[in-house]
Amino acid sequence: MRKKILAIIAPLILMALLLTACAPGATPTVGPSPTPVVVKETVVVEPTLAPAGPVTITFWHTYNEVSPENEMLVETLIPMFEEQHPNIKVESLPVPWEDFRRKLLTSISGGVAPDLARLDIIWVPEFADVGALTALDEAMSDFDQYKDAVFPGPLSSNYWAGHYYGLPLDTNTKVWLHNQEMYDAAGITEPPQTMDDLVGQCEAIKKVNPDAYLFAADGTWAWVTLPWIWSFGGDITDLDVTKASGYLNGPKTVAAYEFWLEMYNKGCFAPVILGSGIDPWSGFAQDLYASIDNGPWMYPIFEAQFPDKELHASLFPAGDGGSINVVGGEDIVLFKQSEHPEEAMEFIRFVLSPQYQLKMAEVGQLPVRLDLIESDYIKNHPYCGIFLEQLRTSKSRTAHPAWQKMDEIITNAGQLILRGEKMAQEALDDAAAQIDALLEQ
Amino acid sequence: MRSKITGDSLTAYAFLLPGFLFLAVWIIYPMLKALQISAYDWSIMPGQVSEFVGLDNYVRALHDGLFWLSFKNTLLYAGVTVSGQLVLGLVVALMLDQITKGRVAFRAVYYLPVVTSWVVVSLLFKYLFNASPAGLINYLLVDILHVLSAHIPWLNEPETAFVAIYSLGIWKGVGWTMVIFLAALQSIPAEYHEAASIDGASSWQIIRLITLPLLIPTMILVMIMLTIGAFQAYIQVALITGGGPLHRTEVLLSYMYDRAFTDLDFGYAAALSYVLIFVVFVISQLQLRFLRSEPMY
Repeated sequence: MRKKILAIIAPLILMALLLTACAPGATPTVGPSPTPVVVKETVVVEPTLAPAGPVTITFWHTYNEVSPENEMLVETLIPMFEEQHPNIKVESLPVPWEDFRRKLLTSISGGVAPDLARLDIIWVPEFADVGALTALDEAMSDFDQYKDAVFPGPLSSNYWAGHYYGLPLDTNTKVWLHNQEMYDAAGITEPPQTMDDLVGQCEAIKKVNPDAYLFAADGTWAWVTLPWIWSFGGDITDLDVTKASGYLNGPKTVAAYEFWLEMYNKGCFAPVILGSGIDPWSGFAQDLYASIDNGPWMYPIFEAQFPDKELHASLFPAGDGGSINVVGGEDIVLFKQSEHPEEAMEFIRFVLSPQYQLKMAEVGQLPVRLDLIESDYIKNHPYCGIFLEQLRTSKSRTAHPAWQKMDEIITNAGQLILRGEKMAQEALDDAAAQIDALLEQ
Repeated sequence: MRSKITGDSLTAYAFLLPGFLFLAVWIIYPMLKALQISAYDWSIMPGQVSEFVGLDNYVRALHDGLFWLSFKNTLLYAGVTVSGQLVLGLVVALMLDQITKGRVAFRAVYYLPVVTSWVVVSLLFKYLFNASPAGLINYLLVDILHVLSAHIPWLNEPETAFVAIYSLGIWKGVGWTMVIFLAALQSIPAEYHEAASIDGASSWQIIRLITLPLLIPTMILVMIMLTIGAFQAYIQVALITGGGPLHRTEVLLSYMYDRAFTDLDFGYAAALSYVLIFVVFVISQLQLRFLRSEPMY
């Protein structure tokens, strides 16, 4: 009998070994293996060494490795900070945006989180909720001074369950960007003021080139759809984020998606919205897409990649709800696993200084300090103005730890509607019910 | 009775030890850890208490429509790519076995895809199957050959997206099956073929009645290895479609990976990994049982 069991178990184990042996490096079978306890033990040893030499703090962010932002950070700002603080060294690590959340989460679970990170504002509640972040309002003695110096909107993105878990680092929103050559060829004289203008503009564009599109976006995720939903007067949830029913499936939101569907079916919105095709900015540069909505980072990108193409910005077209786009931006957060919180907080003070904020503004990042908005530099800036104007009406995405899942539900609903698999009302009813269930947990 | 561990076998054990240690640390330990995780609502934060849920994660998988869909997709991927690689690899091996000039060069060319990086070729296939005229496949079919009248958004529909994923899987694997079959072909004694041709067998008869039956043990081995490999499909799906649209091209590993690293649901993902091990084990056992045959020479 025992032999028989062995005969069954042995090959099972062998098979399991084979599978793990051939598994790609990052499968969960192998993934969550290192015991955090061990890492913690080694960590404890470090501080005794600290006073001897300079302390190194790590700062992770999503600046593109070969971008003007990263160059400014690594070559100008960090050296400036290190000169002011000879006992602190800052190690900067750029991570692609798509991988950032995962990389941070796996690092946290392995006990090797960085000291500081520049987090997309929408991720702060989630990281705070899993207990990875230090509440800055408790840890920083001079927190109030910074709290009062920045815009309340971006500041609020750091607030979760009674505490501030970070400070705003930069802010942004999207505006309407149009392709002047295509406008000229189609005889369009000015950017759209209202949603209704889009219909006429599309006809004019199509008349010149049937293969061209009025507008392109790279998916149906909330970052893309929210401006339309809000500008049509709809919303995702109620203000207190308790339920989505009546909002995500309310008549205004449904109207926004129905407008989308109509524009998509008429060939006004490019098919890349369903996932594959020429991406929005390349198509824009190739005179295939007459307009996109995008953020201030597009200016340095266009300058580098398509120097011949000029960007023309205007406010997002208005619907029943006004001209509303989505607030983006990043916060700087301090991880609980940081071994040098004092030094890390020193860097937080530095990134919130007017000096740092103005330098970063030179490379397309909107500052968050109230006192800088009135500065000559910002007043004379070639494109900051329009973004600041749009920011007056822009709204924030739902601050909730389950945002990632909510966003996926919204993305799927948009797909089902544009693919013609479900009527807008039906798809949004389902989505609202799913989000309701998430919010109840 | 004296112990059977003699000096010689002691030396052998000593030599096995380092290898076994690596196995223990990098494979056996993570496997057991994953088994443990699969029984918990696992919290990723060090020091936080995870809730023991027993078999809940496994039960959940049984009621998860997307799990079954990705399971079905994996089975289809295995079915299509394994048979594709087997047949094409065999054909190429038989052809290369016949020629004498340039065999090495052809072998190298067919083997090249095997040693290329999955990431690189997945991205390449993603571009080949781009929806716009910029995609080479669309350009060929529509603008050059005029087989189709409009550009197909290949990756926006699951059916056509799988065309891209399957063809990558087959293209990349043919070289490996070819090399194995070629080695097997060359181990078949030449006398068998000689005797058959003296007896007046045509070359098709030789292939059908002598070569192919003698290749069966190799085929079983190749099939089992390929099936295990097909169940490991991840990179091609993650990079070409990302499981989309609407999770319809998800395979087991991509689905599992997202549960772990997007949803942070490590307990569920670990349970899925054990389901995967079980399924592969069963399939391999079935293949062995139904196809087992004694070597004929």
